[in-house]
Formats: sequence, C-alpha cells, structure tokens
Amino acid sequence: MTDQEVPSPVKLALKLLWFTFWTGFPLKLAFALLFLAMGMINFEARIALGFVMVLASPVTILALPILMMGLDSHIGEGVGIGLLFLLCIPIDIWAYGVVARTYFIERLRLEPPEGIGLSLWIKTAVVGALYLPILWLVVGFTTDTAISVAHSLFEMEFLKGVPVAERIGAELVLWGTVATVVLLVMLLIGLWLAGRVIQSSTKQAQPVSGTYLGRVMRWDLMRVPADQGLMLTAFAGTGIVLSLLFWTALPATTPRPHDCCKKPEVKAQPPYKPIDALNKDEKVIAQLTTQLDALEKKKAEEEAQGKSKRKGKAGKEPAKAPSANAPVQSESKKP
Amino acid sequence: MSMQQSSSTSTRPTALEKVIAFVDERVGLKTLQAKMLNEPVPGGSRWAYIFGSILLFIFIMQAVTGILLMFYYVPTADHAYASTQYIIHDVDYGWFLLSYHFWGSTAMVVCVFAHMSQVFLWGAYKKPRELIWLVGLALFGLVMAFGFTGYLLPWDQRAYWATTVGVEIMDKTPIVGDFMARFLKGGPTPGQMTLSRFFVIHVMILPAALMGLAGLHLFLFRKAGPAGPFRGSVEELKAKSDYFFPRQVWKDIVGMVTVFLAICALAFWEPVVLLEEATPDPGDYHPEPEWYFLFLFQMLRLKIFAGEFGQFLGAVALPGAFMAFLAALPFIDRDPERNIFKRPIALIGWIVVMTTILIFTVSAIINREFLD
Repeated sequence: MTDQEVPSPVKLALKLLWFTFWTGFPLKLAFALLFLAMGMINFEARIALGFVMVLASPVTILALPILMMGLDSHIGEGVGIGLLFLLCIPIDIWAYGVVARTYFIERLRLEPPEGIGLSLWIKTAVVGALYLPILWLVVGFTTDTAISVAHSLFEMEFLKGVPVAERIGAELVLWGTVATVVLLVMLLIGLWLAGRVIQSSTKQAQPVSGTYLGRVMRWDLMRVPADQGLMLTAFAGTGIVLSLLFWTALPATTPRPHDCCKKPEVKAQPPYKPIDALNKDEKVIAQLTTQLDALEKKKAEEEAQGKSKRKGKAGKEPAKAPSANAPVQSESKKP
Repeated sequence: MSMQQSSSTSTRPTALEKVIAFVDERVGLKTLQAKMLNEPVPGGSRWAYIFGSILLFIFIMQAVTGILLMFYYVPTADHAYASTQYIIHDVDYGWFLLSYHFWGSTAMVVCVFAHMSQVFLWGAYKKPRELIWLVGLALFGLVMAFGFTGYLLPWDQRAYWATTVGVEIMDKTPIVGDFMARFLKGGPTPGQMTLSRFFVIHVMILPAALMGLAGLHLFLFRKAGPAGPFRGSVEELKAKSDYFFPRQVWKDIVGMVTVFLAICALAFWEPVVLLEEATPDPGDYHPEPEWYFLFLFQMLRLKIFAGEFGQFLGAVALPGAFMAFLAALPFIDRDPERNIFKRPIALIGWIVVMTTILIFTVSAIINREFLD
C-alpha cells in the first residue's frame, strides 16, 4: 500500500474499530469495576460482564438496548449498567478522535476533519444499531439449526454407537464450523458497511503535506499534552480517588458465603452507657422503695386496726406471739 | 551580593539530589537507569510487546497476594480447608485477595500463551534469540507447575481430585513417572505429605526457579535486543525507531493497569467458592483439572487414548513430543524470513494448534454438562 491509497472498507473499519476499542477499554473497565464494587451492577448471566465490555464499543452501544428489547431479555439489573453505557459514549468519542487523527495523518496522508471523533462515533453507532440485531438473529438461528442438525445426525442408527467424547467433539466441529463461517461472513459484511461509512469522512479531508518522518513526528507530538506535569497530576489524582472509592465500596466479607460458614444473624445490641444505666437503676430502686414503703405503711395500718379489734376482745382471749411471716422493718427505715 | 547569594542557592543541590548522588556514587544508579530505559526499540514501541512486562507484573502481584494469604493459610490436611474458609469468610478482604490470586494465575496462563504466540508469529525465536525461546519454554513449564501445585492447597473436593487425576497422568511417564508420582503423593492416596510437598514446591521451589529463569530471560533479551516488527519499509522503521522510555514504558503501564483491572473485576464477579472438604470419596463430584488442562483431559477421554498405552500416548508422549518440537523449533526453522504471512506452514500450524485446544476445551465443558 502506498501512502496515497485509501485501504479497503473492511481494512479501514477493522483498524479504526480495533484500536478505538482498546483505547477506551481500560477506562471503561475502571468504571465497571467501581460500579461492581459499589453494588450498582448485578448481572444475571455469568458471561454478561464480557458482553457489556464488548458490547459497549462504539458500534454496539446502541445495538445492545435494541437487542434486549427485541429479544425480551436483560443481562442484569442495577443503575450501574445504564450509567456505564452513558460513560462509554464520551470515552468512545475521545478514543475515536485520538485513533482517527493518528490514522488519517500517518496512513491516509489526510488532514483529519474537525470533530472527527464525534462524527465517526455517530456513524458507526447507527450502523451498529441497524446491523448488529440482524447479525445476532442470523448467527443465532444458524447456530441453533446447526446444533439440532448435528445432534439429529448422531441420533441415526448407525452412528448411535459413537462414544460420548467423540460424539461431543464431532458435533461441536460440525455446528461450530457452520456457526463460525456464518459469523465471519456477517462480521465481514458489517465491517464493510462500517468501512464505507468511515470512508465518507475521508472524502471531505484535505491531503497533508510533508515527509513520512514529518507526519510521524506530527501525530506523535499531537498526543503529548502541553502541560505534562498537569496531566500526570490529574492522572495520579484520578487513580488515587478511584482506588479509594473502590476500597471503600469493596465488601470486607465475601459476597458469596459457603453453606458451611454462613454467619448467624445477630441483632446488634445497643451500646452500653454506664451513667445512663446507673441513673435508670437508681430510679428503679427509688420507685421500688416507695412501693415498699407504701406496702409497709399499709401493713402497719392493717396491723394497727387488727390490734384495736383484738383489744376489744382482750378480755375474752390471751395475747398471741408475733408471726414468723410478719415483715421486718426495712433498713432504710432505720435511723 | 544578593546576586551571588541567589546563584549559589540555585546551584546548591537539594537533600534529595544529595541522596541520589550518594547512592549513584556507590551503586551506579544513573548508568543502570540509562541501561534499563534507553534501550533502542527497532520500529518503535508497540502494543504487541507488552506481554513480557505484564507477565512480570502478574508474577509480582501473585507473590504479594500469596505472601498475604500465607499469613492465614495452614498447610496441613486437618486445617487447610478450614483456614481457607477462614480467609474467605473471616479475614477482612481475604475473599478478594484469594480470588485475585486465583484469577491472577489464570491471567498468567493467558498472558504466557499470548506472549509465546506473539514471539512465534513474529518469528522472534530465530537466530540469535534461540536461548531466549528455550528459557521462555522453561518458564512456560513453571507457570503450568504453579497452577498445578497451587490447585491442591484449598483442600476441597475439586483440589483433591484434580491433583489425583494429575498425578495419575504423571505416573504414565516412563522411567521417572512412578518415582515422580510417589514422591508427590508421599503415600498411596493424597494426604498430609502430598499437601506439604505441593505447598513447599508452590511457595519455595517454583518462585525461586521462576525468579532465576526470568532474570536469565531478561538478560538474554537485553543482550540480543528486541527483534522489532517483521515487516515495514526502511523509512518507516527509521522514522519510528525509539527508546524503551517513555513510549514503550507507557504502553507497558497501560497494559499492566488493564490486566490489574480485569483481574479485580473477575475476582469480584466470580469470587472463589470452595466445594466440600476433600475426602477420598468423590461422591457426585466429577473430577476435572483447571481450565487450561481441560483440553488434555478431554483428549484422554477419546477411545484412541484408552488403556495403558493409550493413556501414555495421550498424556505423555504427544504433549512431550510437542514440547520437544517447540524446543527444537529455532534449530529446525533456520529461514531468516520473519513475516508470518510469508511462512504459511507456521501460520497454519499455529491456527491448527489453537483451534484444537479450543475445540477440546469447549468439548470438555459440554461433557461436564452432559455428566451433570
């Protein structure tokens, strides 16, 4: 390929999409991890995380909601999934800009148009939204059909004696080959479509002058920030903030406890306050003392009444000794 | 006077500069730094070159998390399971450390495969880099050994039976197989001796060997220098040639951060959950090894590999022959052509090997569902 040639749509799309995906991926991963730790994302399928990571690329960000609506399925719950997708948009636009500017200057020898990141993101997101659900349906249908055909082949009488391991392998090769070929063809068509859309941006671009070395120097310097100290400080600061947030949000104990080690639910006891407890006890003692006094007073009155009655009968009966059950005068009453 | 003062203040070294100068005088810090960072990279920095640095980073992280886990882990048959459960359920963030260590080992295997594939496809094993390739193969063996020995340590059913199967496979090796199997097991069935031996191999012998071989690998690499890209015009290579610092260092750091985040996400997403404690009765459990040995395990289920000889053929002879072929590769393939698109046999061979591994691994997963 000479410098002036524009590569084929498939190659153009592959190069730009591949590098854009990897440029944005670490940033998206950091946010995804943070949301996971904060419990803002709850996936239902094991493979859903991989899905979200891959599907939140520029071409798939609009396609995933369409697929979820069309197939009446969802990958999980939590506000974090939507938030992650929203965050992916500016990240991908930025990544597209960085990759496209480099590619245009170095490989295509073209001046990158203004707002190339945003325009490429819109174009490829629309292509993805329209094309990926079709790809999903076609590949899904082909795979299902291939699996059932391969399975029915081995249900035939003369193949029933094939051992399990051989049968699984042979079935996998049969349906896997068909599914892979269809997937590759569909991906090539998708890349060609995306490449055609990207090519339209190259038509508006002006050629760039200078030697190869000069162009390499130019795109290389474009990526070096004017204030490197500020950039490093910002990077380090963001990293520290994200790390602190992560460790703060991370549960100290496992989110998946084993049956053997499930901890019994213990209700938290209110904190013990000695002064309050002492005051409370004193109040109770005072209350009980009052009650006791009242009881003793009542008893004394009853006894006094009883004595006066007995005095009336004294002439008839001799005086009795005091009962063993009679209440003893309390200590508090003693002087 | 004031000008003199200001000039003398500006030239006076700071405390940090004094410390650096002190160390530099005795260690040769600046020479070392220049040697480490100013290495020329033909064709400039590339993302394809990051796997070696990532592997080093993963190894360091495995060592750090491993040491932290050792503070709580008890390598005895009576307490290994309980102490692992204690790490998971009682130690603050213990579950995360253990899960990071577990997924770190998986990441190491993936990166070793990626690194070896990159070197193979780039033709970077050819003269004068044959020794780097050979030491790399030995390091690959060590990474696999790390995975095998570490798998037993939690002492649950999965660990016990994977080790039993692995040792039985090892037993098929002629001459040394019986000795190796008996030495590793330390008795008729896996028990305390097995655990002790696996623990010592995992935390002492293998790390020491890996550090030595990784150092040798790096030394040989710096001696021979990077191979550079396998294609590109002279003008392109000249324009892009660069030093290791800062661009390749930056790419390496981004790669390390990405791998770190991915391991953390996996540790969070799929934390380690133990099965029941190890017993000599498998019950309903279907023994199987870790995922990177699944292809071999599934291959051994084929009828062709049934019986004593078949097992030897599938478990020892074929993998052994393959490794011997890889070791001999730089001496067989003497063609200086490095462009993979001009080496069709190499390209087709790589695709066939990768596809075979993929097919057998997926077959093993389907077989597991069938057995369940």
